[in-house]
Amino acid sequence: MSHEPIVSLRHVTKRIGRSTIIDNLTFDVPQGEIFGFLGPNGAGKTTTIRMMVGLMSITQGEIIIKGENIKSGFEQAIRHVGAIVENPEMYKYLSGYHNLVHYARMVPGVNKERIDEVISLVKLDKRIHDKVKKYSLGMRQRLGVAQALLHRPSLLILDEPTNGLDPAGIRELRDYLRLLTRTEGITVIVSSHLLSEMELMCDRVAILQQGKLVDVKGIQEFMSSATEQVQTYIIDASPAEQALGALCDMDKVREAKAVPDGLELVAEREHIPEILADLMRLNIRIYKAQPQRQSLEDRFLEMTGGGQNG
Amino acid sequence: MGSLILNENMKLYRRPRTWAMLGFMVAIVLFLSIMDWYHNDKRTEGDEWRNVVIEEKQQRSEILNDPKLNEENRSYNEQRVAILDYHLEHDIRPEEGTMWDAINGTAGLTILITLFTVIVAGDSLAGEFSGGTIKLLLIRPASRLKILVSKYISMLMFGILLLLILFIVSILFNGLIYRFGNIDLPLVMVNTEGEIVERNMVATLWKTYLFNGVSTIMFVTMAFMISSAFRSSAMAIGFSIFALFAGTIVSEVLQAYEWSKFILFSNLDLTQYLTGRPYQEGMTLTFSAVVLSAYFILFNLVSWLVFTKRDVAA
Ligand SMILES: Nc1ncnc2c1ncn2[C@@H]1O[C@H](COP(=O)(O)OP(=O)(O)OP(=O)(O)O)[C@@H](O)[C@H]1O
Ligand SMILES: [Mg+2]
Repeated sequence: MSHEPIVSLRHVTKRIGRSTIIDNLTFDVPQGEIFGFLGPNGAGKTTTIRMMVGLMSITQGEIIIKGENIKSGFEQAIRHVGAIVENPEMYKYLSGYHNLVHYARMVPGVNKERIDEVISLVKLDKRIHDKVKKYSLGMRQRLGVAQALLHRPSLLILDEPTNGLDPAGIRELRDYLRLLTRTEGITVIVSSHLLSEMELMCDRVAILQQGKLVDVKGIQEFMSSATEQVQTYIIDASPAEQALGALCDMDKVREAKAVPDGLELVAEREHIPEILADLMRLNIRIYKAQPQRQSLEDRFLEMTGGGQNG
Repeated sequence: MGSLILNENMKLYRRPRTWAMLGFMVAIVLFLSIMDWYHNDKRTEGDEWRNVVIEEKQQRSEILNDPKLNEENRSYNEQRVAILDYHLEHDIRPEEGTMWDAINGTAGLTILITLFTVIVAGDSLAGEFSGGTIKLLLIRPASRLKILVSKYISMLMFGILLLLILFIVSILFNGLIYRFGNIDLPLVMVNTEGEIVERNMVATLWKTYLFNGVSTIMFVTMAFMISSAFRSSAMAIGFSIFALFAGTIVSEVLQAYEWSKFILFSNLDLTQYLTGRPYQEGMTLTFSAVVLSAYFILFNLVSWLVFTKRDVAA
């Protein structure tokens, strides 16, 4: 696998009227990874994707896909790209199959076998000859994935692909994307505003906020940096009231309160063993001490300014 | 390019709406032909046609005897009498009472072709925007210009298909009604020099079709321009149909002004040069051709610039 990035953004800026929607984005997407765009509503994920696929002009800067400039070498660059931008809107009056035939005709080298292959890949075999207007949201999403994969792209761009999929569908998509990157060396860019989803799916995330790049990090790095910080833990201890009193008296505990599942405790990760030891010394039984998953979301919200829009 | 046109045709002919239009076209040709046949003066069908022609000639001569008759009516009636004389002298029966009468009558349905083609064209481009399908259409290795041109060609093909349906159904059906009698009848008409001439019936029919086709092309081009500018089917279809019907009124109201000959609508009806009565004195077929070409280039340039340069946002 080469180390050339498959996509490079250089000082990409988008202005519409007087407002700057995307502000000087510069980053690379390495080949063969699942790369996430993470950001709250209105952060500019879709706008960035629209510029990457040539639907929107780039006010300043440039986007290079597989060595081709998307602006000057559009037809060459887009050949390597399969994408869903926001909702995958298809021709409702055509069957799923004819929708795929339509897109297959637009790229040389997609034959009937490939169409059938993609159909069974997204598990639409049974309904493929139905009109798209009879499809459920999840089925449309699957058809969207199918049209994006049709021409064996080396870069797959999916804007909120899990929108409308059921948990099994999300899992399938995730596994399938993994498989594509591992076996065929495809690079995948997905956008989402859900950190938990990104955590399971991505190798690396770029965090966007109000059109600016906050950070690009490997997901492991991102998660561990989150765990180093102050965290919230849920403790199941008995007797609970005595434990709460003790916790409130401790210097290392920043905050403690009773919640439905037990006691909630905010403290630095490093201090947790000592806090627990102190409790045990007071003959308090501890059944469970668990870091709260919520705190990762909190960390993300912290980075992106509390999830406020615009 | 070929596969893009195939795609456009697939999107067009896999919609029930398109087939409803084609069916309606067939039905209206049948209906008008039957009505024409039903209301025909049955005497014109056999050898009695001479009597009918002589009757009409007498009527017109009486009109011409009226000294208060205005100039336009006088010349029209004189022409008719000359044509009727020609029929009698050369033993050529008029179209009345033959298959050609209804066939020439249904040539007026070309306006329906314009209407249907404009509806389909307005929706073809703007519908991709309102349906959101434009996003997936434009992220393929086909330039926006090629996509626009393929849509354009597919629309013209649709117009031609409607024209062929009109022609074939009309010839076949009326031919069957009259058992293809007088199929080689020539058309007797007055040419622009005022001479009476015989013309091939089918060739004249196609001349009428094609002259009307010019206006179809202009309206389709206009619908495309509005589609790519406003991205709304309703707007494109509505505005073009409005122009189709209001255009003639506009140019009539403004006829007194000399500059009105540069208005699109004053040049759309090229049959004005077939009958020798142009919209304004001194207008020629070449003049109209130049004006129409100028509009054609302008409309296409606007659609092209707007469609290829503008962001696809919503
Ligand atoms: N055509 C437009 N004209 C003006 N502003 C726009 C336009 N399109 C998007 N914006 C603005 O650009 C910003 C980014 O929008 P974008 O759709 O890229 O966000 P997003 O990150 O995809 O959000 P979401 O999670 O809701 O999908 C928003 O503030 C939006 O209001
Ligand atoms: Mg979005």
